[in-house]
Amino acid sequence: MPMLLHSIRKDLSRWRQDPTAILIWIAIPFLVGGLMTLLMSDDGVRPRGVLLLADQDETFLSGLVAGAYTLGELGELLSVEKVSLDAGLKKVDDGDASALLVIPEGFEDAIFDAKPVTLLLRTNPAQVILPGIIRDVTEILLDAGFYAQKLFGNEIRTIRDFHSDSRPDSTTVAAIAVAIQAKIEEVVPYLDPAALVVEVADPPAEVPRAPIGLLVLPGIVLMAIMFSASGLAADYWVEREQGTLRRIVCAPGQLGVFVTGKALAATVVITLIGGLALFAGFVYHGISFSRLAPSLLWTAVSGLALFAWFSALQMLGSSKRAADLVSTFVLFPLLMAGGSFFPFEALPDWIAAIGRRTPNGFVADRLTTEITAAAAWSFDSQSWLIVLGMAASGLAICGWRLQAGFARA
Amino acid sequence: MLVVTNLSKQYGDVTAVEGISFEARKGSIFGLLGPNGAGKSTTIRCISGLLKPTSGSITVGGCDVQAEAKAARKLLGVVPQELAIYEDLPAIDNLRFWGKAYGLRGAKLETRIKEVIATIGLADRAKDLPKTYSGGMKRRLNFGCGVVHKPPVILLDEPTAGVDPQSRKRLFDMVQAERADGACILYTTHYMEEAEFLCDSLAIIDHGKLIASGTVDELRSQLGARDVLQLTGMFPAEPSRLAIRRLAESGMQSLEVLAQDEQSLTLTLSAGSQHLPEIFAALSAAGGKVSQTNLRSPNLETLFLLLTGKELRE
Repeated sequence: MPMLLHSIRKDLSRWRQDPTAILIWIAIPFLVGGLMTLLMSDDGVRPRGVLLLADQDETFLSGLVAGAYTLGELGELLSVEKVSLDAGLKKVDDGDASALLVIPEGFEDAIFDAKPVTLLLRTNPAQVILPGIIRDVTEILLDAGFYAQKLFGNEIRTIRDFHSDSRPDSTTVAAIAVAIQAKIEEVVPYLDPAALVVEVADPPAEVPRAPIGLLVLPGIVLMAIMFSASGLAADYWVEREQGTLRRIVCAPGQLGVFVTGKALAATVVITLIGGLALFAGFVYHGISFSRLAPSLLWTAVSGLALFAWFSALQMLGSSKRAADLVSTFVLFPLLMAGGSFFPFEALPDWIAAIGRRTPNGFVADRLTTEITAAAAWSFDSQSWLIVLGMAASGLAICGWRLQAGFARA
Repeated sequence: MLVVTNLSKQYGDVTAVEGISFEARKGSIFGLLGPNGAGKSTTIRCISGLLKPTSGSITVGGCDVQAEAKAARKLLGVVPQELAIYEDLPAIDNLRFWGKAYGLRGAKLETRIKEVIATIGLADRAKDLPKTYSGGMKRRLNFGCGVVHKPPVILLDEPTAGVDPQSRKRLFDMVQAERADGACILYTTHYMEEAEFLCDSLAIIDHGKLIASGTVDELRSQLGARDVLQLTGMFPAEPSRLAIRRLAESGMQSLEVLAQDEQSLTLTLSAGSQHLPEIFAALSAAGGKVSQTNLRSPNLETLFLLLTGKELRE
């Protein structure tokens, strides 16, 4: 077996001795990802409110008011439940309804006689939108009632008087109809043509947008990669403290093989961890498995690049503690800006623009494109070159630092 | 096999090693002796390629360690003072990895691993992780990793530091076995008895300078038959010095002061035990008071004392 393979095997065998670290690198992203997906997922259920109606008038007009809240699209948002005043007050105070509307006794008479009347609307302070809609609808209904009374007050009163006593004769009905017709003809010139023409335009066709829960996935995969890359990079300090780095420097011409072997061993671990996160995401979101291979390859190469740079960062520290501190100070801001806690689509544009320029943000952005693009293998050659360049430059710095003194101390 | 010529190493204004030269031959153990901080480890690090000498040259098997680093390193086996093993890799895999790092392959490697694991006495624990080993077992594995590729030149930097007597005996056996196999061994220590027991020839260094070299017998002969007498107590400086001088002039001709201060006096003389009463009387007459006496026959430790005026382990 060539020295390179043996070097890879050596590190894999050593890291296997510390399963707790590997579990943590997997568990934290899964935990964060699970929470983020639950918080951001759109389950398709529209909110629906309950309007409690305490109708103390129980007249034709109060019935019309109750029916108005369930007409058309409003009916999809609200359901009206008739209650007594006491039961309604208790329910709305308990937070079991959006609002309670109390129609007082004498409401219909007051409207027809153009006398002041007060409707009580009690809203649930724990809700904002639905009680607001109910308040607006109630005001519109009252306005409509006011204008109807102004226009057709006499006719309505005549109908009410018949309604309460006896059926009207044909002559009276005809007289009411003629009177209403005359008023409508009088009003029509003011209404037609309309003073304002509202033109309803169709909104531009929406670009199909991936569900927000799906957009969380690349950030979570990158979080797993970043944790494992940063954790594995600290192994250079473990080797230094064990004295094995000094011994390898004394061996003839093996330093390059050693650095490459460690990087490839780290790539295996990172690919396994990133692959696990990807697989779980693909299954959960139902992503086509034709995109798994390119995503996994991208994860592996990016993991190698990030490991190389975290290793270089570790070797710039003057002590293990300093190196760990520096790594942590770099890791978390990168995770924050690079879309691991919030997807770029949920961030303000200027923050997202910065985030996409971070190493992990760049990788996550391309991964997002791959899992949401029309077809698999969406990565362009420039992206591959950038990531491979990152890996090569990071490894070169590692080799230089080892030669320059890190391994000899 | 190993030739060090006029080696110097400076760290800024501090000179760690200054103009050291020595030669170690095949099938022999060359001891590099000196107290802590004398420059032994710096010398070893220069030979192994971990440090670049400020001046001088080092050749291993005829290869210059700077100009022909790769060829020279192939001939070297390094057993550093601090452990240099993977504690989280089974002992047998440690040996396999370091054997491969030095170019051993296939059946040759496996055979050598079996030999070494048996020699270092870890055959029954070969698959265990070194982190479960005792300190002595780790030291033995550290030795095994340094010699697994059967190097013709072995650098042993204080291999017995902090090792229990049983493991020390085993390490001595392993070192002697490597010598019997024809290896050239450079052995650094600050234990003179180890050096006397193991080494065929020696160099004594102090403050980075070589102060004596030769075979053990040659070095002993520098002492003649003189003993070293160390006295502790109260010794007024001038009267004590005069009293000793008078004794030397009165016939005790080999008597010499090696070191002196208010609380201690170190002398060298022939047949020391026979002259103790006279010395005590002279010092007493000079106002001195002896509270403790230590008389030692000649050995490398006393040679170091003679050459430097101080104890090796100070």
